[in-house]
Amino acid sequence: MALDRRLEVLAVCGVGMGTSLMLKMTAEDALRSLGVDARVENTDLSTARGMTPDVVIGQGMHTGELADLAPVVITVSDFLDTEGLAAQLRDRLGAQGWLR
Amino acid sequence: MAAVTAVGARDAVAAAGWREAVEATAGILVGLGAATAGYPRACVRVVEEHGPYIVLAKGLALVHARPEDGGLGVGVAAARLAAPVEFGHPDNDPVDLLLGFCTPEPDAHVATLSALARALSAGLDARLRAAGDEAALTALLREVVADA
Repeated sequence: MALDRRLEVLAVCGVGMGTSLMLKMTAEDALRSLGVDARVENTDLSTARGMTPDVVIGQGMHTGELADLAPVVITVSDFLDTEGLAAQLRDRLGAQGWLR
Repeated sequence: MAAVTAVGARDAVAAAGWREAVEATAGILVGLGAATAGYPRACVRVVEEHGPYIVLAKGLALVHARPEDGGLGVGVAAARLAAPVEFGHPDNDPVDLLLGFCTPEPDAHVATLSALARALSAGLDARLRAAGDEAALTALLREVVADA
């Protein structure tokens, strides 16, 4: 069953304004390519801990600390690789039944 | 937005390790008058505190700190290293190209950085690596900033 509301996605990095902004843009492109209606925000690690997104995306050194924050936590090394991120999102969102 | 973004580049930067590479990149922003003298140290501290996550793709780092760490204006810099350095990143080491930015307030840089992200997705990093000299590096950055 597809999600009946907009998907909330959080792009996370250390400071929350540079690297994560790049990741946010890559994630928006990837989600668009999958036809997913999503809102992507970027933030820093400590602010992220107080949030309740559907999906968290970040580097392994950060997602390890955020494993319980969301049903889907995705680790990426290349923040510019739209196709790689889209492939991970397709697998993980599909497994949650969130893709149409 | 384009008119207020300072742009600068250095080629063949000698750096003995990631700290020197980060300081040299942020130092370009200081030289442009876009950041205070303390900004390079702040950029090093970001990595010390949060890990080498600023290495956001193979061989490429995005050097920055917070606005309150010494951002005076919106600035973008590129540094090409004489020899690559290791950040301790699990997948993206070694790093030979560093981009730096600074911003005076949390949202002032968004248009500039968004343009930089779009350009990187379209292969800016490869074009910066292939650029002939410092002037060519600067010209490539100027093109990107003009789109912001």
